[in-house]
Amino acid sequence: MKKPFRRKSIFSPSPAAMVLSYLVLGIWTLVVLFPLYWYIVTSIKLPIQVIRGPFYLPFVDFQPSLHAWRYIFTDLRNDTLRPYFNTVVISLISSTLALLIGMAAAYGLLRFNYRPRSGAILMFIGCIVLVIVAISLGMPWMLAVIAGIVLFIILLQTIGRRFKRSLGNNDIAFWMISTRILPPVVIVIPLYVLFQRIGLLDTKTALIITYLAVSLPIVVWLMRDYFTTIPIELEESATVDGASRYRIFFSIVLPLSAPGLVATFLLILVFNWNEYLLALFLTSSRAQTLPLTVAAQNATRGPQWWYMSVLILIMIIPVIAIAIVLERYIARGLLVGAVKE
Amino acid sequence: MTKVKRQTQGSTQTGSGLGAKLSLNKRIHSLVMRPDRLAGNVFLLPAVWVILSLAIFPLIISLYLSFSSFRFVKGGFELKFVGLANYEKLLTGTEKTRFLGVLANPSIFGWLVFIIIAVLLVISLVLYIRRGQLSAGGLFWRGLAAFVIGLVAWLLVRAIGPDGRPGTLIVTLIYVFIGILFQFLLGLGLAFLTAQSIPGRRFFRIVFFIPMMITPVGIAYLFRMLTDTTKGPFTVIWKMVGLIGFSWVNHPWGARAAVMLGDIWQWTPFMFILLLAALESQPIETFEAAIVDGASKWQIFRYISLPHILPVSVTIILIRMIEAFKIVDIPNVLTNGGPGTASESLALQSYMYWRALDLGGSSSVSYMLLITVTLVCMCYFNLIHRAVKENI
Amino acid sequence: MEYVKKLVHWKLAIAFIVVVLATTLLGACAPAAKVGETAAPVEKETAAPPSEEAAPAAKPFEGVEVNILTFTGPQIAEPLQRRAPDFQALTGAKVNVVIVPFSDLYMKILTDMATGTNSYDAFVFSPQWMSDYIIPGYLEDLTDRVAADEALEWQDIAPFFRDFSASYEGKIWTIPLDGDFHMLYYRTDLLKEAGLNPPETWDDYLNIAKTFNGKDLNNDGKPDYGSAISKKRGAQAYWFIYDIAGSFIQSQGTGQGTFFNTKTFEPLVDNDAFAAALEVYKETTKYGPPDELNLDVGDTRGLFTSGRAALSLDWGDIGTLAIDPEISVVQDKVGAAILPGSTKVLDWDTGKLVDVNENTAPYAVNGVNHAPLAAYGGWSGAINAGADPKVKDAAYAFLSYMSQPAQANVDVTLGKTGFNPYRISQFENTELWVEAGMSQTAAENYLGAIKDSLESPNMVLDLRIPQNARYQQTVLDTAVSQFLAGELTTEQTMKQIYDGWEEITNELGRDVQLKAYLGGLGVEK
Repeated sequence: MKKPFRRKSIFSPSPAAMVLSYLVLGIWTLVVLFPLYWYIVTSIKLPIQVIRGPFYLPFVDFQPSLHAWRYIFTDLRNDTLRPYFNTVVISLISSTLALLIGMAAAYGLLRFNYRPRSGAILMFIGCIVLVIVAISLGMPWMLAVIAGIVLFIILLQTIGRRFKRSLGNNDIAFWMISTRILPPVVIVIPLYVLFQRIGLLDTKTALIITYLAVSLPIVVWLMRDYFTTIPIELEESATVDGASRYRIFFSIVLPLSAPGLVATFLLILVFNWNEYLLALFLTSSRAQTLPLTVAAQNATRGPQWWYMSVLILIMIIPVIAIAIVLERYIARGLLVGAVKE
Repeated sequence: MTKVKRQTQGSTQTGSGLGAKLSLNKRIHSLVMRPDRLAGNVFLLPAVWVILSLAIFPLIISLYLSFSSFRFVKGGFELKFVGLANYEKLLTGTEKTRFLGVLANPSIFGWLVFIIIAVLLVISLVLYIRRGQLSAGGLFWRGLAAFVIGLVAWLLVRAIGPDGRPGTLIVTLIYVFIGILFQFLLGLGLAFLTAQSIPGRRFFRIVFFIPMMITPVGIAYLFRMLTDTTKGPFTVIWKMVGLIGFSWVNHPWGARAAVMLGDIWQWTPFMFILLLAALESQPIETFEAAIVDGASKWQIFRYISLPHILPVSVTIILIRMIEAFKIVDIPNVLTNGGPGTASESLALQSYMYWRALDLGGSSSVSYMLLITVTLVCMCYFNLIHRAVKENI
Repeated sequence: MEYVKKLVHWKLAIAFIVVVLATTLLGACAPAAKVGETAAPVEKETAAPPSEEAAPAAKPFEGVEVNILTFTGPQIAEPLQRRAPDFQALTGAKVNVVIVPFSDLYMKILTDMATGTNSYDAFVFSPQWMSDYIIPGYLEDLTDRVAADEALEWQDIAPFFRDFSASYEGKIWTIPLDGDFHMLYYRTDLLKEAGLNPPETWDDYLNIAKTFNGKDLNNDGKPDYGSAISKKRGAQAYWFIYDIAGSFIQSQGTGQGTFFNTKTFEPLVDNDAFAAALEVYKETTKYGPPDELNLDVGDTRGLFTSGRAALSLDWGDIGTLAIDPEISVVQDKVGAAILPGSTKVLDWDTGKLVDVNENTAPYAVNGVNHAPLAAYGGWSGAINAGADPKVKDAAYAFLSYMSQPAQANVDVTLGKTGFNPYRISQFENTELWVEAGMSQTAAENYLGAIKDSLESPNMVLDLRIPQNARYQQTVLDTAVSQFLAGELTTEQTMKQIYDGWEEITNELGRDVQLKAYLGGLGVEK
């Protein structure tokens, strides 16, 4: 069949559809890129040019000035570089760890049947409450935690046996996502106190642990859904071949769910990159991250739009770079020839 | 090998994804029978431990805070136990108009809307009962969902009516539902368009991801710049439309619209990227088979793509819903919750109390948020989520 | 499985893992190399013998490190950072200025002290927060140190800041570094052209605003505004209402107080005076920009300095901003004056307004009762009581150094420091201001206005009781914002504020609050 515009594959749209697609995509690109352009333009404006009204084109409407860039990079050199470094390190590490731990949990929730007993859970919560009360009454935290664990184990073996009613996978998953419901403002002070007692305030480790705990539910939920798209015949045939659980997971399931993995990674990377409130409280000088610097541009004189624009621009550059590198993995075709029947 | 107990829907020829799910349950059992119990724990426990250690502790403490009142005394501070006083203040006391709103009698139109919704709910309940597959759980959740929807509708028509004024609870619900609706539709449309093999699609994918990359505080300031009618970039347009003397953030609905616009701009990439990954992970054979069978593009979308992405969509909406209820940065920076309290969300109210050291008030608002979200999510989860997963 | 090998580039995976591990290791060790000058691990100088030179005194604080917390500048933080090295050269103490976003400074200070973390030794903060920090005992009493400190020239500091801002219950707790109070700003060129005098009463203000509203005030072809006052919720609006209300309510001097009845601690918000103030406040909106309800003080300053407003109310900043060519087009066209007053004042017993005379308003000028509001109190330095004694000494020395005339008088002339005048010597000497760029007349006018305000015996002390944020931000700000948006009537607004304040008072204890309120108003030298 010879046609003037031959489609390259079944996914190529018809010419009419292509025009329409480009139109819609073009409009949305404009919607996305115009604010970015406004940032760029604002970062090279003098304060008076920002206040007096909208000026759109450098050199045409107004004389650009690099004062904001100079200020951020030379006047404030270390105060900009240190948060930058912290942000990169903290986000990358916590996102990677969250992805690893989370996808394992997601796979587990999908393929295994867990039946935690509600009695055990209630007892666990009870022990935690006792530990908290003990610590607030002055007991050193290590002692309290160890005592709590011991108490829990003892109770579990004795009374715990009597409550048979158990929960299922879905309940575990729901519990995980429900930890994200409370606004961060409420958990900030308890976390601050927690890390203060452990002595981890103002360290990158504290933020990494916190972001890890906060991103895990999202990873688990998202990966659960991406894993279900993997045909189970693949796993079954591998089982028949004698592969262990771990082998199946790493060799079959993971590669096939690459698009989902990459998308999830990008997502939580961005979440952790931009997180503000927890970083504000758990850090003071050494472990400050970039979002704090951005928010700090709102001084008593009003927002310093020019500095803020510079900071935001430099903040998104690494993320764009990572997105460009990883985007190729959100691609079709990984399942070609996967199932050979 | 194993018998398929559940009734099948649709042809098992339409691909591994569909057919496999139908017999999934049975096959899980066969897989689990192997002595791999330890592997199960290894997979799940690290996540559970991490979340457990950092999640329960703040939850309990803030629960206690919500029942107490904070103040300074010689030597430090004190948390006095006050029982339900903070909650009473929100629901019936001095903060009621801020939290729930001013609830006036609904207009005729409001009555009409409410009656229609109520009738629809009753009809859906009746239909469910008559279908015969009654179960205690199903009835409970449907009843609860009907109750919740009815209550929200009642609050809505009373608050949005002519004399009423919505409080933070209602405003937050509006932000969540309208925001998610637009974000999902936009995200789906964009994902679908960029899943096609058109040249330049990689460029679009990266560009569309950008709004989410910007830190929320930055986006809030950005929209403050953009919506400024005197020095923002759209002044030219405002002038043409005749709005130059008008400030839309001075009007309650204008302020809310500005917040929602910022929210939609920021979070559409979330839906976009996840739906894109879902679309990209469809197995190709299904498409090939369908083309060979002579299906049209619309049929392919409706019968293959849509069912494939429905489970993921449902999850994405749930996650986004939980996040959306916590909206705080944009209303905070754009309007500080103004004019009056028109654009204030629950999380913002909690944050404002917290900043003023009213820790008890802050925690109680957060717990009301928790209850609301849990109710909404559980109804959603048990009805829609399960239905989609099981009937696919 | 061939297809699997195609999918995962093992080398890429390994490379990624190596990168992650490397960054983990890097992250685990404190990156000492990257830490900037604003925070460094504690350095202990090797035992340096006391200075061997004869002339300079021995460096008393060698090896001591002081962590000062304030908010991100350049205002306030910049002068501290700039002078820290000088101070170190003088005394050997290393001063680290740690900064956090402005809106979160209060909570950061509080959590640090209340949880016993004590990672900061000193703070530069708003005295309005003092009572929250003093009552639990977190701040160090500075009375004795100040008494022994000649170089500080305590008496040079304006009486208001000395006796009210820095003191509480008769003791001194802070060292003033900045003088915060509200003033009126007007366009000298416009008023001269129209033959008008700067407004003395609020009615004058409204009339002048009306005259200029809608005219083009900066020759750019667009109509401009008569008045620009920040009315944004959650910003500074809850001070500007008291700019107006103070002149109606307080007439017997600072010690009378403005917010509460000094005997019963009843809120003074449900009376004719407050109603009149609310009306005036709402009326100014008519002559302002259309989105005034969403403008914070940064925006209104911008409007004024770009020539788009004829009148404005602000802290001292407009004066110093106006001479900066990067920001202002109205250099030398700006005049300042004491806040307009009122010809009627409140009779506290009846709740009604009465005319001004020698009894009702002994400090009235030309029959007008002025009550400039010292909003916020003026950024001051205080010391954490939980710090090391040697560090406390060093911190005090630094704060004193910053406040001494040699340094302070220069800093207040620089707009970027955010320090506004608070010492008598600062507004008697116009040279420094002229050097900084003001014309002679402008400098005299600006300093004259400051002088009038600072020397006014009827200055209003900002609310300074435990948890004043709840009173002002949660209740007052919300109610005023709703009033301006038209959601509440005047009566409803007053009632809402009254009920809200009473509820907080009852919750926290009326006696405690009353005692704190009186303690803040007490005058002790």
